This record gives sequence, structure tokens and C-alpha cells, in this order.
Amino acid sequence: MGDWPRDQTTKPPTPRWVKVFAIIAVVVVLLVAVALVTGLGGPGQHGPGRHSLGGGVTEEQTLPGDGSGGYVPPPGPPDHDG
Amino acid sequence: MAPGLRKFVLSAHITVSVGWIGAVMAYIALDLWGARARDGEALRSAYLGMDLIARNVIVPLALASVLTGLVVSLATKWGLFRHYWVAISFVMTVIATVVLLIETRTIGALAEIAADPTTSVEVLRALPSTLVHSIGGTVVLLVVLVLNMYKPQGMTRYGWRKQQQERLRRQEQREAVLQS
Repeated sequence: MGDWPRDQTTKPPTPRWVKVFAIIAVVVVLLVAVALVTGLGGPGQHGPGRHSLGGGVTEEQTLPGDGSGGYVPPPGPPDHDG
Repeated sequence: MAPGLRKFVLSAHITVSVGWIGAVMAYIALDLWGARARDGEALRSAYLGMDLIARNVIVPLALASVLTGLVVSLATKWGLFRHYWVAISFVMTVIATVVLLIETRTIGALAEIAADPTTSVEVLRALPSTLVHSIGGTVVLLVVLVLNMYKPQGMTRYGWRKQQQERLRRQEQREAVLQS
């Protein structure tokens, strides 16, 4: 390993790439948070509700026109583990 | 860990991790195809294929990648939280796996709708795309890959403390040998 400090009694400073990485991570987290809060991308495109089963398929999306589209929403959460 | 076993686990880790990226690429191909398809059968097959790949290939590879990564890091000199590149890789891999597991449920729900023969083409066309997650996940995996290839310098506070302890222990052992 070539990253051992020359002065072995003091901890080496945090590398610059780690700081840059941390800044990028914070920016990405903030952008995702803003997208979730403001609903950017439109309903059903992203957000916690989309992760619930069937949550991404809103009634407006699935039942265009008079809403009769032939679509019957699933009665409950599908079991994909079984 | 014995060198032979270490190489075996490392080979397994590389295989499943790179396989994970490859499987996500195949998933994205179907996702893109589904996003552009207007034909009902094409849409159905795209969502069913995505569900098949996600549940049977991507999820097992992701879990295997986390598991083998843990073994490789904990059983070698690198440790899990001694070096920034290992710790960051681990955290990003875990986050990617958690998001994948959540997203897999959404994909399953979409596939169930697509598999229903009574679902109309209009409904199929209105199903949301999962491209944001699949492309975002690929970016995360590629960043982890680059970190693992380049292994940028930098020891964490914990890693530095452990290093100091080991150095002190070796020094004490040397002194004990000299005194005896």
C-alpha cells in the first residue's frame, strides 16, 4: 500500500478526491430530495409512492379516456417471492 | 485467508460484480425497447423480460457481489473501513442493492399488469419507465468499478489507528525478542 504517511505519528489529511466525492454525493442526494419533494418528472415517474406496489401506475395513467380501458387493478400486492 | 482461497473469492467477486453490470445493460436494452415500443405484444414482452432479468439475474448477482465483497475486504489487509475507496465502494454497493430490491418490487408489479391479457395497449403504453433507476444504478456500479481498479490513496481515521496499533505490536514483539 503506498498511502502510508511518512510521519507515522499524525494521521494523514483526508485526500482531495474524498472531499470531491463527498461534495458530489451531497449534491446528488439534495437533487434527489428536491425531485422527490417537488415531484419533478411528473406523477408516477419517481418518488416513494412509485416504489409501492402498483404505486407508479396511477388511475389517470392506466385508465385513459372514460376510464374503462379494460384494465382491472390487481387486487393486492403480488407475491414474487413464492 | 490462504492465498488460494483468497484468489478464488476475489475471482468470484469480480465475476459477479462485472456480471451485475452486464445484466443491468441487458435490462436497459429491454427498458429502452419498451419505452419506444408502441405495439402491445412488444410492450408486454419487454416488461416480462425486465422482470425476469431483474429477479433472476440482477438481484442474485447484486447480493453475491455484496457478500463476496465483504469476504474479500474483511479477510484481507484492506479491511472494510480502513481505506476510503473500500468504504465508499461498500456503501455505494449496499445503496445500489437496496434501491434495486425496492425497484424489483415495482418492476414485478409492472410485469404483472403487462402479463394480464385483459390489460389494454393504452394501459401498457402508460406504464412508467424504470430507465432513471437502471441508468442511475449503472453509473453507481461504474463508479465502484473505477474505484476498485484504481484504488485511490487515502486511509480513514479508523484504518490509521489500526495501522498504528499493528505497528506498535510489531515493535513490542521485536523488543521482546531482542531482550530474550
